[in-house]
Order: sequence, then C-alpha cells, then structure tokens
Amino acid sequence: MHKYTIPVSLSGLWIIIIYLALQLDTSPPLIIGDSMQPRSFPIFLMILNLILTMVLARQMWTMPAEEHASVALPTWLSIVVLILFCVTTIYADMFLALPLAMFALALVWGERNIFMASGVALVTPYLVFMLFSEVLMVRFPRGILIDWYYG
Amino acid sequence: MSEALASMALVLFDPYLLFLIVITTVIGIVIGVLPGLGATTGAALLLPFTLTMEPVHAIAVLATIYVSATFAGSITAILINTPGTSAAAATTFDGFPLAQKGEAGRALGVAVVSSAIGGIFSVIILCIAAPLLALIAYEFRPPEYFALTVFGLSMLASISAGGAIKNLIGGVFGVWLATIGAERVTAIERFMFGNYELYEGLSFVPVMIGLFAMSELLVQSQTANKIMNIARLDAVRLPTKDDYRKIWRTIVRSSGIGTFIGILPAEGATVASMIGYSEAKRWSKQPDEFGKGSIEGIAGAEAANNSATGGAMVPTLVLGIPGSGTTAIILVGLMVHGLRPGPYLFTEQVGKVYQIFGAMFLANIAFLLMGLYLAKFFAQISLIPARLLWPIVFCLSIVGAYALNSSLLDVWLVLIFGVIGFVARRYGFAVAPIAVGLILGHMVEVNLQNSLKMFEGNWLLLFTQPIAVVFFILAFLGLCGPYIFQWIMKRDK
Repeated sequence: MHKYTIPVSLSGLWIIIIYLALQLDTSPPLIIGDSMQPRSFPIFLMILNLILTMVLARQMWTMPAEEHASVALPTWLSIVVLILFCVTTIYADMFLALPLAMFALALVWGERNIFMASGVALVTPYLVFMLFSEVLMVRFPRGILIDWYYG
Repeated sequence: MSEALASMALVLFDPYLLFLIVITTVIGIVIGVLPGLGATTGAALLLPFTLTMEPVHAIAVLATIYVSATFAGSITAILINTPGTSAAAATTFDGFPLAQKGEAGRALGVAVVSSAIGGIFSVIILCIAAPLLALIAYEFRPPEYFALTVFGLSMLASISAGGAIKNLIGGVFGVWLATIGAERVTAIERFMFGNYELYEGLSFVPVMIGLFAMSELLVQSQTANKIMNIARLDAVRLPTKDDYRKIWRTIVRSSGIGTFIGILPAEGATVASMIGYSEAKRWSKQPDEFGKGSIEGIAGAEAANNSATGGAMVPTLVLGIPGSGTTAIILVGLMVHGLRPGPYLFTEQVGKVYQIFGAMFLANIAFLLMGLYLAKFFAQISLIPARLLWPIVFCLSIVGAYALNSSLLDVWLVLIFGVIGFVARRYGFAVAPIAVGLILGHMVEVNLQNSLKMFEGNWLLLFTQPIAVVFFILAFLGLCGPYIFQWIMKRDK
C-alpha cells in the first residue's frame, strides 16, 4: 500500500462529508439568533480533520511506508459471515441467523470439533434468548422461529 | 459528609447489591483474564443487561467490571505473558520473568495486593476530590464547559494507542458522528438519509459495542489459533514482610500517579501503569532487577493501573468527561439511567453517587479475596479457545445491542462500527478517541452554541473568560507542548 493511501482516502471522506453538509437545509436567522447554522459545525469539524490529515501526510513524508500484513483469511471469512448474518436476519430470522453465524465463526476460526461448535452455537443463543425474552421482557423481531415461538 | 458516609455504608445493607458486586467481580475477572476481552469490552457487553436495574445497581455493576477486569489482566500477564487488558502490559515486564523463576504465586500475590491498595486509595481520593471539583464546576457556564470539552478532546492526543494526530482525527470524527440526527435547536435533519430512527442521533450503546467488542472480534480473528503456555502456579502467596518493606513506597507512589493520571480527561489505566512502572524503576535501589522479575516493577504497574480506575471516575461523574474508554461506557450507563453527570449529581443525587463509590470500594475488597484464593481457577479460564469464546461474544453483542431499543438498526450499527473499528485499528487509529468524541460531541456543540448566544455571536469573547482561557491554554500545551519542547531542544543543540 502506498504511504499516502490513508491521508488521501481520509481527505476524500472528509470532502464527501463537507459536500453532504453543504446540502443540508439552512435555518432562518430568526430561529438561530446569534448561534450558528446547523451545517456550520460539521463543516468546521471536517475542515479541522482535513488540516489534521495534512499534518498526518506531512509526518508520513519523513517516515518510510508502514508495512501492513495482509488481512488473514479467517478475518475475511468472519466479515463474510457477518454479511450473511445480516441477510439471514432480514429474510429469515435473527435467532436462526445467530446460531448459523456462531457455528460458521467457530469453524472459520479453526474449530474442528463439529459437536463442540454446534453445541456452543445452539446453547448460547437459546440461553440468551430465554434471558432477554422471559426475564428482561424484550420482544425480538418477527421471523420464522420467533413467529413460531410467540405463536 | 456524614450523609455521604451513611450512603456508602448503605451498600453493606443492600443484599442484592452485595450479590451483584460478588457476581460482577467474578465476571469482571473472567473478562479480564480472557485475552482481548478487556474492561471496556466487558462493560460494553454488560451494559444492555443493566437496563432493567436500578440506576445505582446498574452503575455499580459497570464500575465493578471496570475495577475487577483491570486487575485481572495481570493474572494472564504473569502466567502466560499475555496481558488480559492493555493496562496490564507493563506487568508482563517483571511478572512473567518472576513466574518463570517458579515464583508465580509470589508475583500474583504482589499484583493483587498492590492492585487492591491502589484501587482503595483511588476510591478514597474519589470521595474527597469529586465533591471539591463539583464545587468548582458549579461556576462553569457554557464557555467554560466548551473550553473544558476542547481540553478533554485535546487530551485524546496522548491516549496510549495510535499517534497523536491519528487520535485527534478519530476524536474529531467521533464529534462529527454526534452531529448525526436532528439538530437540537432547529430540528434540521443532518446526515440521516431519510432514516427516522436516527432522529435522536446515533445510539451510544451499539456504537460502543461495535467499536470495542465487534472490532476486537475481527482483530482477534487474525491470531485465532495462537497456542499459549501457562506458567506453573501452586497457590497465590501474600507478600512477606520483606516484600512489603521493599514495595510499600512504590505502591504509595504509583497509587498517587495512577489516581492523578486517571483524573486527566481521556487518559487511562494503560498510561498510568507505564508511568507507574517507569517511576518505580527510576526510584528503585535495584533498577537492574527490572525486567528480570522485580516485585517493585509488578507493584508499580499494578498499583498505578488500578488506582487510575477511581481517578478516571472523577471527571466522568463531576464534569461528564470520560477519563477512559471504560468510563465512556459508564457515562453512557449514567445517561441511559437518567443520571445527569455533572456537579448537580453531587447535590441532587448525592446518596446514589456515594453508593456507587461504596460499591467500588467493596469491588476492590472482592477482587482482593478472589485474586488470592481463586487465581488458579481463573488462570485456567484464560485457556478457553478463542474459536469458541468469540462466537459467544458475537451473540451477546448482537442481542445486547438489539435489546436496548428493540431496533434492528442498532444491530446494523454494531456491525458497521465493528468494521469501522477494525479498519481504524488496522491502520493505527485507536477506537477510544472515536468513542470519547461521540460522547463529548453533543456537549461541545451545545456549549459552543450557547456561548455564541451569550456573547451575541462574538466568539472572540470566549477568550475573555478566565477559567475558559486556562482550559484553552492547557489544551494548547497538551497539543503543542511536546513539539515546542522538541524545537527548543533542537535549537539549543
């Protein structure tokens, strides 16, 4: 990775936020009085961050590029599991997605004992569900399993 | 004062609170010994469980987690050379070498006693300093609060992980995150993209869980199959008279250092333990022993990191400015339970505040006893494989975040901020500044707005308020002091 990738990416992000802030509505002077427009503060913050990012780039100028080891396979796979968890939660059920994601995470992280992985993936969400649903009275989002449980 | 002491004593007559302190101390120690799961992650995970509790019980639970997990990091630091929390990193320097010499029990004994003394010392200082600071804070108006928050944010530059500039960028980004939602005066929607669940702004709890717990999950996934070797531990030994003679000055000095560092906004136990350790070495009669198993080194680091816990509660409770990542979560807990942090807490809710102090005091006693008698058992827990532990953390994070508002948006926030936190940490940005910035963001903007109204739009008048000027100067020195000092040294050469 080039040593200026971080400052350039960050600067791009701050500029996008400034652009978004400029699109915000303005308030009539009567309401805000001597205070500032709602968009002024975020713009000020992002200008401050642009300056700080330039200082960061200046610091990096004198230093050799930092070496970053490539992201490990289990990390990539964990992120994929998180995405699949979102999809399953939206289209099926959060309490179906949780055991599946937990089981997949355990395997991705190197667990080879299927019984152990599935045991943890089934027992933990069950206990957590019972605690939150029956003791703390939390209602979980409807889905295949939750509909069946709530009746 | 008598009312305050009576409130502290009330803790002893609340069996449910005592039960919670004992259970939470066990949980805190377990969290502390599991590498990767520190006090901050533990507090973030437990926060949703406290929602149905009484405010005092809830904050006592979070404070107990803070105290006990900070101590417990030393158990793995000594036995497996892996600090359970970053605050215990300095303990590895001498703790592990002493354990390798076959004196793990002695090392743990020194660590637990030093931690408990440091923790109790800081609670005593907390009881004295917090009301005094509250008296001064009564004088604060919006300009002073604005200057104070600027000072708090400037202190982010010196948070242990990440460079100064990177921490400041993270802090400013966190303040920007606080602007998401409807602006409070004009109700103009900012960065909501049509999602009305964001009208009240980003919910703190899922962001904290995402930044601390979920990002840690992704960080830990890179070292998932690390094999650890545990040093042999027969029993924890209390320090002998000779040991006490050798370390008592170090404990007192480090307790003072730790409490002071903890009081500084945005500093925390990690910085305290490093300074406590280096000062112990500087003042030692046998500095050559450091790094080879010196009990002074262990005492210096441990007394400092646990005394920082009480110190960090001072700005959190009195000024609403978190002294560390964990106190940022405790601050969220206070807000969620309707306790408004600030000087008025010491007049309106004085009983509750002193019960929280009492709970922290008892938490130090509880981990002292458990550390002495159960350290061997807790050490075994540290060997639970990460590949089974982290899926459980994932489940708790998701359900805990959802439970707060029964909103799936909070679940998505956990995942989004988990990935943001992971990317940030990968490129050398600490996540604590983002969290502190988010919490202080509202305070910064509102106090700036109110100051401008006070001064009829003339912001230069901010610099005519003496207390505010002091904070601005401190902020400037905090940010530029090291560079000015470097420049002067260079010029003199």
